[in-house]
Amino acid sequence: MADHNPPSLRIDDFDVDGAVRETFERMSQLTRSGFLRRTVGAGVAALGAVAVWSPAASAQAASSDITILNFALALEYLQASFYTEAERIGKLSGALAHQAHVVGMHERAHVTAFHGLLGAAAIKEPQFNFHGVTESPDAFRSTAVAFEDLAAAAYKQQAPLIKSKSYLAGALAIHSVEARHAAWIRRLAGFLPAAHAFDEPLSDAKVVEIVNATHFVTLKDPQTATEAAPRFTG
Amino acid sequence: MVKPAEPGGRSVDEERGTVMGRFSRAGLLKGSLAVMGAIGGTAVGAAELAAAGDSRGSAATDGEILTFGLLIERLQAAFYAAALRGGRLTGEARQFAQVVGAAEQAHVNYLVAALGSSAGKSPSFKFGDAATDPAKFIATAISLEETGLGVYNGQAVNLTPTTLAAAARIVSVEARHAAWARALAGKDPAPVAVDPPISVSQAKQTFQPFIVA
Repeated sequence: MADHNPPSLRIDDFDVDGAVRETFERMSQLTRSGFLRRTVGAGVAALGAVAVWSPAASAQAASSDITILNFALALEYLQASFYTEAERIGKLSGALAHQAHVVGMHERAHVTAFHGLLGAAAIKEPQFNFHGVTESPDAFRSTAVAFEDLAAAAYKQQAPLIKSKSYLAGALAIHSVEARHAAWIRRLAGFLPAAHAFDEPLSDAKVVEIVNATHFVTLKDPQTATEAAPRFTG
Repeated sequence: MVKPAEPGGRSVDEERGTVMGRFSRAGLLKGSLAVMGAIGGTAVGAAELAAAGDSRGSAATDGEILTFGLLIERLQAAFYAAALRGGRLTGEARQFAQVVGAAEQAHVNYLVAALGSSAGKSPSFKFGDAATDPAKFIATAISLEETGLGVYNGQAVNLTPTTLAAAARIVSVEARHAAWARALAGKDPAPVAVDPPISVSQAKQTFQPFIVA
């Protein structure tokens, strides 16, 4: 039955580096500028996907909350793009295809929710290149396990740092969904869905380092990218 | 502010089952093993929590919420123990009861240590065939796990940041349990994009039939 020994990821042929850090550096510059506090409120009206998020606390959103929400948005971009591309390419079947379809919808809903909250303060979606992991069921499965455990750990670290109670409620409601996604794909991959009694958090620096190491984020301008890889977005 | 004792530290070998381990095994993250020890058992840095401020929540509220959390964990642990004693579970359902039951017991021990003398004694529970009939077992497991998760999600916003950081390590495990139980019933493990909170009064209605007055 399920065991604790995941296979290696098949994502070892990457050629681009430093992209996520650029995103986060730019993000940090954005959040330092004062205009953000004014723009956040406007986005809240667009928020329909996350019912638990109320606009009450957003008028005085702390800049640290904006940074955290953008950090979460970056992770949701990554996941949404991954599942959307896998579904579009169509190499998955059965339970795996169903997982990609349902989880992809969730991740796209999370992107929409963060866009609604952040409005003009939202970071732009980077360019992604998944280097073929969306084209093979085995590679897809392994990558999805890693993404979902990573997302749950990232939310777990950030949630206690959120100042707004309303944002916190939303982040917690997504945190547990990411954990469900992790359990779902782990089971499909033959791992224990819940291998430990306690899940551990992961710092934002560590999360960025891990995502960087995958070279999935390219930040290339789509107009100038020589390979002109198809871009799938939520 | 309640400061839960740390659970027994996990070894580096155990930590290899985490996302860090997977990436490092793939050679994508060099040197990650060195940082794993630092991650295990360290929730959120004290400096970061101080930055977040402790304006939210209070020690008294933390205590109330963790006390209700302890009731949930005790009930869940007793449920899985009763199911395993019943001896009618087979295959993955049995594995589920073993793995999840052990986790719930670990949560009980953690919360008892955190609450100290205010933890009190566990009530007695009665599950009848909900624990022993395999079909009813899965349906009841889904109900207990979903309700536990929903209550944690609903109440976590009222915790102080330090206690929230500790509780968050349990909440996502409850979410994994709920997802696993749903999968065993042939349902989507994650039915919606955001998990709705559940009120304490709603949860009490779900739990009451299993508690011996």
